Amino acid sequence: MSASQTNPAKIQVEGLSYSIDGSELLKQVDCEFETRQVHVILGQNGAGKSTLLNCLSHELLPTEGSIIWNGQPLESISYVDLALQRAVLSQSNELAFSFTVQELVELGEAVQQRASVQAKLVVEAVLHVCDMTHLRHRDYLTLSGGEQKRAQLARVLAQIWPEQQGEKESTPNATPPVQNLQQLKIEPIFNGQWLFLDEWTAGLDIKHQQRLGRYFKQWAKRGLGIIMVLHDISFAAQLADRCLILKEGQVFADGEVTSTLTQATLQEAMEMTVRVEIDPQNKLPIITPLLESF
Amino acid sequence: MRSLLARGLWPFTLLSTLLMLGLFASLLIGGFTLSLSDLITELSAQQSMVLWEIRLPRLMMAAVIGAGLAISGVALQALFRNPLAEPGLIGVSSSAAFGAVFVIVLGGTLWQEVSVWQISAAASVAASVSTVLLYSISTRHGHTDVALMLLAGVAFNAIAGAMTQLLITFSDDSQLRSALFWMMGSMANLSWPTVWMVTGLVSLATIALWRLVNPMNAFLLGEKTCMQMGYDPKWFKWQVMGFSALIVGASVSVVGVIGFVGLVVPHIIRLWIGADHRLVLPLSAIGGAVLLVLADLLARQLIFPAELPIGLLMALLGGPFFLMLLLGKRNRRMGNRSKVQGRGL
Repeated sequence: MSASQTNPAKIQVEGLSYSIDGSELLKQVDCEFETRQVHVILGQNGAGKSTLLNCLSHELLPTEGSIIWNGQPLESISYVDLALQRAVLSQSNELAFSFTVQELVELGEAVQQRASVQAKLVVEAVLHVCDMTHLRHRDYLTLSGGEQKRAQLARVLAQIWPEQQGEKESTPNATPPVQNLQQLKIEPIFNGQWLFLDEWTAGLDIKHQQRLGRYFKQWAKRGLGIIMVLHDISFAAQLADRCLILKEGQVFADGEVTSTLTQATLQEAMEMTVRVEIDPQNKLPIITPLLESF
Repeated sequence: MRSLLARGLWPFTLLSTLLMLGLFASLLIGGFTLSLSDLITELSAQQSMVLWEIRLPRLMMAAVIGAGLAISGVALQALFRNPLAEPGLIGVSSSAAFGAVFVIVLGGTLWQEVSVWQISAAASVAASVSTVLLYSISTRHGHTDVALMLLAGVAFNAIAGAMTQLLITFSDDSQLRSALFWMMGSMANLSWPTVWMVTGLVSLATIALWRLVNPMNAFLLGEKTCMQMGYDPKWFKWQVMGFSALIVGASVSVVGVIGFVGLVVPHIIRLWIGADHRLVLPLSAIGGAVLLVLADLLARQLIFPAELPIGLLMALLGGPFFLMLLLGKRNRRMGNRSKVQGRGL
């Protein structure tokens, strides 16, 4: 457990601006992200959420400002090193040829170049987490939208999934049979890995949103840093440790859920009509979007 | 990974066996037929001459070029993210042919004698230029428009063909003779130095492309995802374009345009074992060698004692195959799904 007791890894964003074709999508954004936390970025369409996430994952180069990744400037880190410690699930995912779900997941796994026994364990673990084990041999292109999303998420997780210690000897080198799944421990110990998710709930049913949401909270406690863009404000209230609300490319609010997801902020930043109550049990806001203003 | 090896083992064994059988068959069958026992016992001077100077270089060339064309098909298909991207269809081969004829016809004024190296270089340069142009025409923001790619290919084929014809119109008698001779795309009269040159260039490009199997897989998920998985997509694209053009250029400069190998072979391999390039690339290489060795044997034997140009034979075999692919695609789009397998296009 030593890994999760060391200092959390940090991403610091300072004075970040990004413009394209004369329009400024991000203006002077300052914020900070830490591992062991679930960060949720909220905002209206076009507020700059995905642009910020794309800057963080080094897909877009900021026009101004800097991103400091664990004390190093982001642009000084190679694609390979970055891929070893952070994985990204984009809003839309494509796949040109037909792969089975398992083959797709193995593509993500291949980034780490683990030993084959470890690699198999990782594939089993992420398939299980995403509830894709029963669909592992299906052709990706024949899956439903939500299933495709889960398959892609499994691929993304396999890229940064930590190796499990001390299981090398206990596992036979044949393919782990399905009945062994119960023994498979989903207790990863992360060490500064990052998971970036852009609207991962789109297309997923509530059952799987909740299943994965629980896992995300668990893994954050075990050392993973999660930054996600969400539209579902009530889900965000339960999931997030910290919220960053963007409006027109600028930071509108940044902080704990209780201080950021208030009726006033939501109305002003996102022009939502909502009712916000505080859950007496966990003290988290319960947010109900309303069609009629009251 | 072990499962990868396990999946590839049976196809690999089968294809290698086929290749060995094909190689032996075409070594022995021909103008006069040798038997296996002839090989073991002493060969007459004439027999050994036929074996070493005629059949073996030709055989080797067929195998190497078949493997190379299949690999360049695999690489271009990964680049365009489409199984129809094939050097012959999208005009890369005919551009290479134009480059070669250009040097054959006009090179004589620059150098006394035009060597096969110069023809290869010109063909490779023309092939890479056309690949880069085609990619930039048909791909916007990391998405290839398939219709645009095929139509641009039609245009490239037309332009390169017309310019080749134009060059030939301007050539004198001896140039015309060597250009025409070359355009027949024959595998006959290959000398060992030529064979070694092509083998060297194709092996170089194959090794270079083999290093790229993981990024090829990642590239199928899109340019952005490829980057997120730790590969530099720009550098990857340049390498794929350069090395596949080198293969096409080297083979076109020696045997002329041979189409459809890069279409048929990877397609069948993908239907068989899936789309993972770690398997598709090596198996397509062996499959391409098998196909061209057998096609060459057929080309020699079908209208014996005359010989079919191998490019012609491949077009006769590959054209209908291409139509079948298109039909399958159409049926799927029109909802005739039950008749078509899920894998593939």
